[in-house]
Amino acid sequence: MSWGYLIRRLLAIILVLVIVTFAVFAITAILPGNAAIMILGEYATPDAVAALQKQLHLDQPWYMQYYSWVSGILLHGDFGMSLRLSLPVTQVVGEAFLNSALLAVTALVAVTIIAIPLGALAALKRGTAVDLIIGLFSYLGTALPEFVTATLLLVFLAAPNTGPFPAGGFVAPWEDLGGFASHIVLPAVTLGLILLAHVSRQVRSEMSEVLSSDYVRAARLKGLSERRVIRRHALPNSLAPAVAVISLDIGYLLGGIIVVEEIFAWPGLGRVLMYALENRDLPVIQAVTLLLAGIYAVSNLVSDIVIALLDPRVRYA
Amino acid sequence: MTVSLAPVATDANSSTEKPALVIRNYSLSYRTDNGLVSALKNIDLTIGKGQTVGLVGESGSGKSSMAWSVMRYLPPNAVETGGAIRLAGEEMLDFSPRQMADIRGSRMSMVFQDPSTSLNPTIRIGEQIAEVLMRHRGLTKIEAYAYAEAALARTGITRPKEMLGRYPHEASGGEKQRVVIATAFACEPELIIFDEPTTALDILTARQILDLFNQLREETNVSALYISHDLGLVSRVVDEVSVIHKGVIVESGPVQDVFRRPKADYTRQLIGAVPNPDRWIGVDAPAVPETLVKLDDVGVRYGAPTKLQKLFWPKDSETTGFWGAKGVNIDIRKGELLGVVGESGSGKSTIAKVLAGLQDFEGRLEFAGKTFANRKDIDRAYRRRVQLVFQHPDASLNPRQRIGTIIGRPLKLYGVVPADKVAARVAELLEMVRLPADYAKRYPHQLSGGEKQRVAIARAFAAEPDLVICDEVTAALDVSVQAAVAELLVKLQKDTGTACVFITHDLNLIRQLAHRIAVMHHGKLVDFFDRPDARSDDRDAYTKALLDAVPVPEAAIA
Amino acid sequence: MRKFFSSPTAVVGTLLLAIVLFAALFGPLVAPFDPQEFHPVARLQGPSATYWLGTDQFGRDLLSRVLNGAPATVAFGLFATAIGVGIGSVIGVIAGVSGGWVDSTIMRILDGLLAVPDLLFTLLIVTVLGGGMEHALLAVAIAFTPGMARIARSAVLSVRTRDYVRAAVARGESGFYIVTFEVLPNALSPIVVESTIRVSFAIMIGATLGFLGLGAQPPSTEWGLMVAEARQFMFRNPWCVAIPGLSIAMAALGFNLFGDALRDALDPRRSH
Repeated sequence: MSWGYLIRRLLAIILVLVIVTFAVFAITAILPGNAAIMILGEYATPDAVAALQKQLHLDQPWYMQYYSWVSGILLHGDFGMSLRLSLPVTQVVGEAFLNSALLAVTALVAVTIIAIPLGALAALKRGTAVDLIIGLFSYLGTALPEFVTATLLLVFLAAPNTGPFPAGGFVAPWEDLGGFASHIVLPAVTLGLILLAHVSRQVRSEMSEVLSSDYVRAARLKGLSERRVIRRHALPNSLAPAVAVISLDIGYLLGGIIVVEEIFAWPGLGRVLMYALENRDLPVIQAVTLLLAGIYAVSNLVSDIVIALLDPRVRYA
Repeated sequence: MTVSLAPVATDANSSTEKPALVIRNYSLSYRTDNGLVSALKNIDLTIGKGQTVGLVGESGSGKSSMAWSVMRYLPPNAVETGGAIRLAGEEMLDFSPRQMADIRGSRMSMVFQDPSTSLNPTIRIGEQIAEVLMRHRGLTKIEAYAYAEAALARTGITRPKEMLGRYPHEASGGEKQRVVIATAFACEPELIIFDEPTTALDILTARQILDLFNQLREETNVSALYISHDLGLVSRVVDEVSVIHKGVIVESGPVQDVFRRPKADYTRQLIGAVPNPDRWIGVDAPAVPETLVKLDDVGVRYGAPTKLQKLFWPKDSETTGFWGAKGVNIDIRKGELLGVVGESGSGKSTIAKVLAGLQDFEGRLEFAGKTFANRKDIDRAYRRRVQLVFQHPDASLNPRQRIGTIIGRPLKLYGVVPADKVAARVAELLEMVRLPADYAKRYPHQLSGGEKQRVAIARAFAAEPDLVICDEVTAALDVSVQAAVAELLVKLQKDTGTACVFITHDLNLIRQLAHRIAVMHHGKLVDFFDRPDARSDDRDAYTKALLDAVPVPEAAIA
Repeated sequence: MRKFFSSPTAVVGTLLLAIVLFAALFGPLVAPFDPQEFHPVARLQGPSATYWLGTDQFGRDLLSRVLNGAPATVAFGLFATAIGVGIGSVIGVIAGVSGGWVDSTIMRILDGLLAVPDLLFTLLIVTVLGGGMEHALLAVAIAFTPGMARIARSAVLSVRTRDYVRAAVARGESGFYIVTFEVLPNALSPIVVESTIRVSFAIMIGATLGFLGLGAQPPSTEWGLMVAEARQFMFRNPWCVAIPGLSIAMAALGFNLFGDALRDALDPRRSH
């Protein structure tokens, strides 16, 4: 892995983001409903509407709108003003981003810690009851949409007065760590379940493949202990594919976060997005979409670097 | 060359010690959906101390099952139905898995067919050798690495210390196999199983590994079971040989006796199938040499610079990419069989692709008065008259088409016969390649490897071409099938007068078939000669090395 | 065929799929009650002899509602996938077959679209089109297109370098013949497998949209909407959220298992 490779990857990410801006812009530009009317209300005078349209550049052709939007981001880090909240988009999105990151990272770390050993265990105990139970669980996990998981968790673990967890809301960790912890459990579990199921299944199949490889057979035929065969020879070789799967699943996680935040009233990007969609708040929609796509692209790059560190064949390629 | 490959004299008979390995009346089956399938039946085999025994068989003969049985490494669906396997007198069938783990790698070890898959890609080579020594010899890490370095040096690795720090993908195929051998010998085992250790290697590398095998055997007096499909090779390295066919050992004995006076029919058939360079089976050479196709200064560059690169970095554009073939001049005569020989990566398949119009090239390709300077110029007429047969019949036949459709396609495409005669012609073509006519209704997966290759050949000849290019067509087939396919080609050549370019790495085979032989090395044509001059002194040094590296079977000399 | 059913995945998957498809085809006919009929005396009940799976806040029979919602839910998954797979495959095949700049242009655009999470993409499109079942369906189909295009492309690419395709090129076959008779029949199985699994995702996303109020509208018996409508009452009668929720899971699981079993059966590496 050379600098040239990294630079090429960064260029590719920029290209992806450019295409995303186009796509987002195209979609939002054809959104029905005149944004100025939506902001001012139906009884606004035509003059006021025209003035606001001018202020929002809505009277200009689409490429000028696109240009002023993109140049605002690139030159001033300015995503524009929220149409509804009369606040800069960066301010609306910034705090929400932090809250979402807390949730997503918690879920992702939990998934990584649990899914890899679980998948490896299933592969090692292939064909036994343990494998069957893990398999059953993972199939069920991938078939439950977030809103169903969330609803069932709420029914059983967050009943008013008797349930061990709050039904929703958010407490910042720097204000009350215990409160934060109890609030994050249900959303994180909901968000992580599908990923957990999917990643553990992929790890199982990777690990099974590695376990039946020539070099693991060779390691066994050297008389090495089963412990060493698994820990030194088999596991490291199935880690790189596991990282690849997790990084691809981050896209799924970023989608899931929208539903989960909505259900658990978690004040993150998802809620902001839903609110913006309902109110046709174009600058916010654009910023959130771009942000989510950017996170996904960057996390894929990070995972490629991690994979290169895990696999010497990639490292020097 | 015969000297260093001669069997090492052993003291097996004079020794009173227990034999290294005794297998008595051993049988093995596999549980499958179709019930028990027998893999090994009543096997008897003895390897004396310091002795090397060859186990020779074609694919599916059970020779690999034998290796797994001895190593006690059987899949869960294996059922052992009796017998005994004794290592130095100890019954291994009674050993617990734990005891077996102690024996594997220390008293008994194994060298595998493909070193590129049997070494762990993410662990440095040093650790992969040292871990055996630490496990079985109880050495410390420092001691184990020092010992590993010595073991590597013994296998002829020039800079062993450097090699310890490398990953497998940073070593060549030959180096990797030396590492595997060093690991196998590390704990000075009583028995080593060699499972086709040279099959995945190039000719010259294979030869070096064989030499190494003989040298180490002499130095260590280890007992060995040498498993191979290659009779010629086995006859050069073993003392005794057992021939296995469909799970039964059909014949065993000292290697000279088995090859000179084979008793079993199967052994005779196997020996008959081994190509003997002195037995000519090809067609008569054309009386008047007449050029059919000519390659004029043909070159192929992989990863050639793009227009943009040429524009901005004109200096670099000369050096980017690499030449799969460069400056190749070959003429192919009407009705002849031209052999193209080389190791993998020599450019021989690149030439096949150029001839078949599958590869962009520089230079000129002349055919029947026309000159093509570019792959895209090549017209339908040329494509009809030059046909290609691929190495792997599994890959070259569309799995979703019936044999009749596959063979019938060129007939329809080129309008060789009227539409209503296609089925009849397909039947004729099947008969020509000695397949039953009702095979037309089958799908490729219902045929064996040899049968599939016959279908591919029938498809090539269906177009009634002037030239057929055979790219390693026998390489993926078993020995006995190889011989039959080669004979079939010769017969078709005799019947049709078609010229043939036969690309191969098998020098013994090509000397049976070809009128002229071209030798390629690193993308260049290094030698081009008439077959009778193969042993002439004017040959290129590389040609000589190749010829010397290939063992001519014992029986062939006798 | 016998080999296909030797794996438990295939047996369970086929069984679930059979139940789900039966419900989708005959559900409304076999439902014991009218799904919209109120039973004021029997509100928010658990399972009983009369109401096998209990009742909702209006005393409507949950079994009848779930059975009535089956056609909409399953049809949503099937059609959304079919459209997405159809358009995606065409794009992917074009990219894979043409190669060169056409391929790289298409791929770069797909990369960009794939960087937007499926659900977000769907939400954006639904917002543009406005809610409702048909628009939600179209949105899911469009959101699936880039992913399917990429799968179709890689299936074509893996086939394109096979020797039988090269043999056809060497013979001088037309591009049309090569694509239609040599490449496509062999590239089909990964596309079929992926589509089957995608149906389960389509069902899940469709239900999620219903739940968010952006898909099916009341008084529809679409399962996601049923969960959303019953949420207020879930602590008084968990059955009214559990039944539609688990129905979604069962339908998704059926397609998922069946697709996996299909993959195992079609994978040449695993068949002997």
